[in-house]
Amino acid sequence: MAITISGSTGIAGVDGSANTPALQGTDTNTGLFYGTDSVSIATAGSERVKINSSGQIEVTAGSSSAPAITPTGDLNTGIYFPSADTIAFTEGGAQVGEFDSSANFKINSGYGSVATIFGCRAWVNFNGTGTIAIRGSGNVSSITDGGTGIYTVNFTNAMPDANYAVALGGDNLTGTGNLILNTSGSFNTTSIQLLLTTGGGGTLIDDNYVSVAVFR
Amino acid sequence: MDKRIIYPTDNGGVAIIVPAPDCGLTIEQIAAKDVPQGKPFKIVDVSDIPSDRTFRNAWEYIE
Repeated sequence: MAITISGSTGIAGVDGSANTPALQGTDTNTGLFYGTDSVSIATAGSERVKINSSGQIEVTAGSSSAPAITPTGDLNTGIYFPSADTIAFTEGGAQVGEFDSSANFKINSGYGSVATIFGCRAWVNFNGTGTIAIRGSGNVSSITDGGTGIYTVNFTNAMPDANYAVALGGDNLTGTGNLILNTSGSFNTTSIQLLLTTGGGGTLIDDNYVSVAVFR
Repeated sequence: MDKRIIYPTDNGGVAIIVPAPDCGLTIEQIAAKDVPQGKPFKIVDVSDIPSDRTFRNAWEYIE
């Protein structure tokens, strides 16, 4: 039997609880219940979802095998919250990623378990001969050509400190020994200077393909 | 970006700043950030920079 309500009062007066929702179907411990400025959904007598007084949607923490947020039909894949200030991701019931409470991003990308990844914070590939030009870059605002074999890579966003690691690559146009990418110039939070020399005499030279990657 | 920023170096030469394409900054913003503080500088066309670098270390900054 349908209930028709006229006027503006509606149905009011019963908050209910997770175990006995105010609005329920034939299953008496599943339905809607209310708190002060909040609405919750309960199933099987437990609160599952809540819209709180700030308008936030609260869900249960979940687990790797039963994540809190999951797609229909694949219930062991999704997002869950294993501990305070932590967001985790699961696939097929196994954790595959996590933002931990220190804001570290961890993934299992063939590592065997989730582990912190240390991303490249800046990179650049440039032509160091003829008309100096940048072919591609990330978090690099410019390079400074300071003379033959002297280049400074300027970061768009500064590093947190100067204790970063640098991976370098290039090719030797002169063919006289190995090309040495000498970072004895300086490590700074806003830039790093590179000195490109030949392997034998240490003579500064320009190089056609110079690649720099900064990790921190 | 078809512009370059030039400024004099401490040893009497000239440094040339090559902007990174798609870095999200204007040439003026790059100059403000990457030219050493207190150094005069000019924004020039890339065509104003010689491509023959044989005597690169002899290049000078002209006011």
